[in-house]
This record gives sequence, structure tokens and C-alpha cells, in this order.
Amino acid sequence: MSDFLENVKQLFEMYLTKAADISGSIGSFVLHFGVIAELYTLLVRWVFPILAVTIFLRCILPLLQDRKRNAAWGYLNITDGTRIPLRHWENSIGRSNFCDIVIKVHFVSRNHAVLTFRHGAWSIAEINSKNGVQVNGVKIEKPETVQYGDIISLGGVEMELVQADKEPMEVAQQNDTARYVSSRGDIKPGTTFLLILLMQILGGLQICFSKGAELNPAVPVTFLFFILTECFHYIIMRWCSRKRFEPELLCYLLCGLSLLIVASAAPDSIFKQFAAILLGLAVYTALDLIIRDLGRAGKLKYLLAASALLLLILNLTIGETRFGAKRWIDLGLISFQPSEFVKIAFVMAGAATLDRLLTTRNMTAFIGFSAACIGALILMRDFGNVLVFFATFIVIAFMRSGDVRTIALTSAGAVLGGIAVVSFMPYIASRFAAWGNVWEYADTSGYQQTRTMIAAASGGLLGVGGGNGYLANIAAAHTDLVFGMLCEEWGLLVALTAVLIVVFFASYAVFLTKDCRSSFYAIVACGAASIFLLQTTLNVLGSVDILPLTGITFPFVSHGGSSMIASWGLLALIKSADERITPGKRTISGEGD
Amino acid sequence: MKLLLKRSAVLLIFSLLLSLGLAVFLMKYFHSASAWVQYPTNKHLYASGKLVSSGTIYDRSGTILLQMIDGTIEFHEDKTVRTAVMHATGDLSGNVETGAQVAFGDRLSGWDLVNGTYRFNDRLSSGSNLTLTLDAHLCAAAYKELNGRKGTVGVYNYKTGEILCMVSSPSFDPENHPDVKANPKKYEGVYLNRLLSAAYTPGSVFKLVTAAAAIDNIDSIDEKLYHCDGKLQIGEDMVNCLAAHGEVTLEEALADSCNVAFARIALELGADTLQKYADLAGFNSSLTINGIKTAMGKAELSDAEGGDLAWAGIGQYTNTANPLNFMAFMGAIANDGVRVTPKILSDRGIISLPATTETRILSSKTAEKLGKMMRNNTISAYGEENFKGLELCAKSGTAEVGGVEKPHAWFAGFLAREDSPLAFVVVIENGGSGSKVAGSVAVNVLQAAVKI
Repeated sequence: MSDFLENVKQLFEMYLTKAADISGSIGSFVLHFGVIAELYTLLVRWVFPILAVTIFLRCILPLLQDRKRNAAWGYLNITDGTRIPLRHWENSIGRSNFCDIVIKVHFVSRNHAVLTFRHGAWSIAEINSKNGVQVNGVKIEKPETVQYGDIISLGGVEMELVQADKEPMEVAQQNDTARYVSSRGDIKPGTTFLLILLMQILGGLQICFSKGAELNPAVPVTFLFFILTECFHYIIMRWCSRKRFEPELLCYLLCGLSLLIVASAAPDSIFKQFAAILLGLAVYTALDLIIRDLGRAGKLKYLLAASALLLLILNLTIGETRFGAKRWIDLGLISFQPSEFVKIAFVMAGAATLDRLLTTRNMTAFIGFSAACIGALILMRDFGNVLVFFATFIVIAFMRSGDVRTIALTSAGAVLGGIAVVSFMPYIASRFAAWGNVWEYADTSGYQQTRTMIAAASGGLLGVGGGNGYLANIAAAHTDLVFGMLCEEWGLLVALTAVLIVVFFASYAVFLTKDCRSSFYAIVACGAASIFLLQTTLNVLGSVDILPLTGITFPFVSHGGSSMIASWGLLALIKSADERITPGKRTISGEGD
Repeated sequence: MKLLLKRSAVLLIFSLLLSLGLAVFLMKYFHSASAWVQYPTNKHLYASGKLVSSGTIYDRSGTILLQMIDGTIEFHEDKTVRTAVMHATGDLSGNVETGAQVAFGDRLSGWDLVNGTYRFNDRLSSGSNLTLTLDAHLCAAAYKELNGRKGTVGVYNYKTGEILCMVSSPSFDPENHPDVKANPKKYEGVYLNRLLSAAYTPGSVFKLVTAAAAIDNIDSIDEKLYHCDGKLQIGEDMVNCLAAHGEVTLEEALADSCNVAFARIALELGADTLQKYADLAGFNSSLTINGIKTAMGKAELSDAEGGDLAWAGIGQYTNTANPLNFMAFMGAIANDGVRVTPKILSDRGIISLPATTETRILSSKTAEKLGKMMRNNTISAYGEENFKGLELCAKSGTAEVGGVEKPHAWFAGFLAREDSPLAFVVVIENGGSGSKVAGSVAVNVLQAAVKI
């Protein structure tokens, strides 16, 4: 009983002190104008993570829920009456379970043929099968065009190619409308977009409040322009694109974070960062338009590969060394990092359509190109990017060949090579020396990592409020250590959301692969996602000493024009694999022609 | 596209690696963020190496042990009190690793996992306050009793786990930091909290461990008699007693602290059984006191045989004991065989910390029997009139440390009183006789403790 009374007494006393605190704070609210800013931070640091997580969920759920199958582009009627829909532009036929059209007949080879739909016409190509392919009874020697009504015969199995009963787009349209009506709880991208704008306005104001009189007027102006740009781009997308644009929304979110980081750490260059976002959007739109036609994409691939090699040679000859890596080209007015743009070319260079992928196992050209890129990067001492390119090479090479042994051998070779490099170059070895026990080198070679961890710990889950961090004063905080800045100023929850967005992009690319029209798009999507993933891995885990620090940017978030533009370009590559249609869209684009 | 879907799994492997790395980071973060944040260059908490703001440290009755006034740390106004609790609060330069300023620095600075270092309105708020379970005046009394001798006194409530008294000597007045290096002998290990971080040869107090093993493992131990003629030859080793005790039971052997009888018992039990009971009693492991790890006592008996095993059974082999850990063993005997892990932070108030850990280390019957024997020790050996009204159950230890040094004096036990469920330990380095030297410190501290 006395315990109880004691507790009540304590409770009472506690509330009394709290009340005194509150009345005290109201008193000083009147006294100090600055308290408004502090009250604002008090509120925003709670709202911000909630918004970030909500937006993230609202964006990923529709993308993953959308389990609708592609419409059929045509049908194959087998003599026994079965009707097989052709759901892709490229359909492999064979006995293997991994073929798009599985025919379990002994005389059919594991991977027998590929049926391709290109420029409104179908063609069939035979892939090293035992029994060959006949069209209307004639054995084919090279890929042959197939007309509707023609009989295709594989190892004795006869199939008739039949036109889709309706225009494929109409079918899709019907399915879509039905689904749209049935699911009332559909998450509307418009609301999500408004939440993103709200988050950016709140964040921008927070920076303005915390900087107070020292505020660079460019900051609010840039935020205003950025929000207007987003609105403009959103409306264009809404009108012109049939695709879902949640991925773009997620990138808005990341770009917004990037501007907040720059506003806090390097406010003088915030307008430059915004200009990079604009250029990025332009590159994104252009690439999106060009590569939606496979023929154009195939041509662009060679053009880009050639310019990539040219850029790398230029970089090696007139490049400039900064922070130990020769990865800059300075053109007087602007300087940029060629390796960032080479990423787009690299991913596209590796892509191939399914018929080529299954007929020619030969990847010499791609391997040669990869070796040239990686070799150039080694010469530039840009070792972080060497890792990014190499991992992406593995992803693409594996998607093309499916050959585990070759990949394993290549990786083993690369690891040995890496060890050799580390043992010969003291510059990298010193980075490895601090790795894993940075606290022992806290003020020397582990300086950046320990400061990142201190900042991350100081931020807690909710952060100390934008513009209130101290990591911003450390070199490269807004590029290499951007994860730490996010943690410190906006909290661990927001920083984790940013990383999870990239993890999501990877799963999204894999998810898209299943229903992709052409293997070309599947490969570029996975390749681009791989670059995002690797950059994030090296940036985030490097800055907190799980991996060695390599000085790589966080896609969309780190301060840096080249990285920002390239990130938008890579997003276009991921998006190219997405064939699904936004609910309630009428536009039919000329995919088939 | 099924083929490519299968092959694209390699991308999932990469994303798994990132997620894994992130998970490792998060584990590190939740485990060590409180330590990272205290790095002295962190401008959120420190200005030129000094804490910008610190909460107040109170003792159990609300006495202020440490507070920050206008950016400077101030201790209790009484010199003896602040010297006695110096190891609990820590000094101004953070030399005492287990002191609250270091061990709970994150909380004192106002850091927490959700808010980080964020404080709403700097002018109104400071760090968070801490209430220790200690009683400042009891600590001061214990420090006075030690009277400059090196050693430690610990008292805790074996039902709640609250540590009431934690004193380590030598100590110093934290407001007048002495030149420790100029006087290395006087200030030997001064930054060490001997209760938490020291380990001494236990000597005869270890006989309680041997006795617990004997109660459980030797048939009809109550009737069994052990012969003592003052010495026992085992191989080349000779175990001596102060006197020839004749035929003694376990209870008499414990009261007389008969080395020969316990040597025989140890040999009878064997190394493995003794090892098991030493481990149960808390040897070879640390206790965690609100996140502070105690030093580990050692008892490596598995290789001991013959004379070594005999010496081990009377606590004079290679064994060492951490005072706090041993005090918790006393508490377990008192508390029906259940050890309540001691704690230093008071969790009274609105938000209570996770409940104290309770571990059964002895069976209820064994604990009761051992407790009765310890009560008998007081009555027949230490003299009940010296410990009037305390219901004292105890065991003394005079641990030989070799050479010309005087032995360490141990006195450990508990009060069998419902109103004051206290267990205690007193160790005085090179103090001499356990029951006389350490016992007289214990009696005065305990008489003060029961009045709280």
C-alpha cells in the first residue's frame, strides 16, 4: 500500500516537473522567436520518417501486386486441339521446363526453337536442335518468316500460328478496366505524389529554419523549381505514358533527399544539383523513347558502346585526378565523370534478344568491351567502379550464358587479380588496413567511417533535424558519406528507406523479367538494377565499415551531376522492361510496328 | 523468359548481400550506437572534450551525487561521501571505466536510440537523470571503516538485486584529483572499482562451494566424520591446519575452517564435480550489472588432481574470485538457491527497466542447509554477541597470497532477516585474519545497513 502511495507521489511529482517544463517552454516561446524553428523541428522529425515509409510502401505495393499476365500477341494451335498463347515477343520452344512453350515430346530438343514477333511479323529460328524445324513441310536453314495459318513442325509436333482474336492492346485494355473496377482499394499514385511534395516542402522548410540568417537564398528557390519540375514531369507522364510510374516517384523521393543533403552540406552548389536532375530527366525521357523500339535499341547499343570507349580514352589522356582517382574530365565550365555515363553503354552492350542469346553462345564482343571498360577503370584507379562494373558483368554474362562454371572461373580469376592489385598498390592496401577496425584508426585512415558512425548514432531513429548535423562539415559527406548524413539529419528510418528503395529496384527488375517482351529488356533492366545495387552496397556499407570505403556514389542521393544523370538513364533501362499498363489509360503506342 | 527469370536470380543474390550487410550494420548500431555517440569529437555532446550537458546522478534517497551546474560537474558537498562513491560516479576525466559517467554516459548526455542526441530546445532541457540504488551515507560509512586499507565492501539486497553499498579503496576526492603517478603505491589500481573489476584468491570462503558440492554429492554427509590431525600428506603436497580438529562433521569443519577435512572432501568429490559447483557459484563467468561486466573469477580445476585438487577445495589453488560475483553467490544461498543479479540503476518510477535476471544455481534444500551451516559459523566461531540482532550467516577467509605479504581478509555472507534481506562481501587486501579484520568492518557496515 505504501509502495502504491509512493508511486502515486512520484507520478504526481513527475507531472509537476513536466508541467513546469511546458509552462517554461511556452514562456520562452513568447520570448524567443527561435523557438518556432525548434518547435517546427520537433514536429517534422516525426512526420518525415512516417512520410518516407508511407511513400515507399505506397509505391512498391502496386508494382508488386500487379500480377496481371501479358496479353497474347498470337496463338499456336497444336493438332490435339490445345491453344497456346504467345505472351512475349520472343518465345522459346522446347522440352525444357525453362522454355516459354514447353512441349514434352521425346523428339523435341530441350531448347528447340525461338518464335520471334518483330515489326508486326513472326519469324522462327532453329537453335541447334537434333530434328530441325519445318515450316509448311520445308525444313528451314536460317530464320524464316511465318505467316498466320502456316504450319510449324518441331520433331513431328505440328502447330498452326494463329492471329490473336483481338488487337492485343484491346485485350489488355479490357483486362485492365475489369481489374480497375474490382479493386477499390487501389493505391492512387496521385496521392503518393502529393505526399512526396509535402515531404519535400517540409524538408526544405526545415533546412531554411535551421540555417536561419545564414540561409543561402538559392535553397528555397531551387526547392520551388524542383517541385514545379516534378509537377510538370508528373503531368506529362500521366498524360503520355501507359506505364505505371511508381519507380519515378521513388526517384523523386531520392532526388528530394539529395537536394536536402546538398542544401545542408554544400548550399552553394544546390542549383547545379538541380540542373543535373533536369538533365537526368531529359536523358531518361530520350532513352525511354528510343529504346522502346527494339531495332533502334539495337543500333543505339553500338553507338553508345563506341562513344563509351571514346570517353574512356579521353578520360585516360586528358583526365584529372581527384581524391586519388583519375576519373574527371574538366571542360572549363563543367567537369564530369565519364565512367558514370559509360555505365549506361555497358549495360546496353551486354543485352541481346532471345534468338541471338540461344543461337550464338558467343559473347566475345561483350567480354572484350567489358575488359576494355574495366581495364580503363583500373588505370584510372577508380576501384569502386571496377567492382560495380565487374559485378554487373557477372549479372549480364550469367543472364546471357547461364553458365555457372565460366562465371565462377571468371570471378575466381578476378578475386586473385584483386588480391594481386591490393598487394602491389599500397594506396588500396592502406584502405584495407583500417577496414574492420576503424576505431583503432579513428583519427587517421578510419576518420571518415568513424565520423559516419558517430553521426549515425547521434541521429537516432528520427534524426536531429535537417541542417543540424555536424557530418556535413566533413569532406565528401554529401557524396561518399551520404548515408551518414541521412542518418544524422533525417534519422535512421529515412536512411534505411533510401537503401530499401534500391533493394526494391533490384527485386523489381527480377520481377519484370518474367513477363518481359524481349530478353533484351530483361537484361538491360537487370544490368541497370545491378549497378544501382552495387553502388549502394559499396557506398552505404563502405561508409559504416562493413566494407572498405571506396568512394562510390549513392544513386540519385549523392551530390554529383554525372552520377545523377546516369542514374536517371539507368532508370529508363529498368523501366523499358515494364510492359504493364496503368489502370484507365487509353493511349496505345505503336509497339508492334 | 522463364529461362531469364531463373538466371536473374543472381541479382537477387546481390540484393541479399546488401540486405545482409545492412542487417549486420543494424546489429552493430543497436549494440554500439551508445558507445559511438560518446566519442569525444562528437560535437552534439562535447565541446572541446567536455560534456555539454549532463544529467544529475542521485542515490536511492535522492541525494545528489553528481550534477552539472553552468557547464561544470559538481559532486556531493561532503568530501567523504564523494570519495566513497567516486568509483560509482566516476571522476572528472572518465578514468573509471565502470563509473556511471562512462558506463551510462549515453543516458546522462541525454542520448537515446529513438531521438539520438536531439534535445528539444537546448535552453530548457539537459541530459537525463540517473538514480543509483546506492545509499550515499552507507557508502561513506563503509569507506571510513576501510580506513585507508585497500579493499572493497559490497552490500546488496538479495531479493531485489539493489546494490546499497559499493566502495572500493584506495579512492580519492574527485574534486581534488591527486597526482596518482607521484604516489604509485598509495594509489595502486585507484581507477579500478575493486568490487566489480578485481579478482582475489578466495581462500577459505571457497569452502562454501566445496560444501555445496558435498551436500549434494556425498551420501549421508550429515553423519559422516572427517579425521584431522593438523596435517594431511597427499603425494608431495602437505595440507596444514591451524590445529588438529579431530573427528569433524561437515558443519564443524566449516565452522572451524578445517583445511584437512575440506581437502579430504575435495578429493572425495573429484575435480569434475567441484568444477561444476564452482561454475554454478559464478566462477569462470561474468555478471552484467546494468550493462557493466564484472571481472571473471577463475576456477580451472579439470586438470587438478591429488594435492592440487585438495588445495583447490580450500580455495588456495589457482582460483580467484570476483567480490561482487561472490556476493551474488551469498545472495543465492540466502534466497533459496536463486541468484538475483545485482543492479546499480534504480528502476523506480514510471518506466521500469526489464526485470532483474534470476537464476537458480542451488537446489532449495542445499541452499537451506548451507545457510544453516553459515549461521552456525557465526554462533560457534565468530561470536553471536559481536553481530547482535543481525541474524548473520557468514564465512570468513584468510587467503594466503604467498611470500611475505599478509593474507587477504575475506568476510562474506548474508542476513537471515525478512526485513533486511542483505548479502555482503568485504575484502581487505593483505588485511590479515578474515573473521577479525574483515569481520569487524562488516559488522559496522551491516549495522548501518539494516537501519536504512
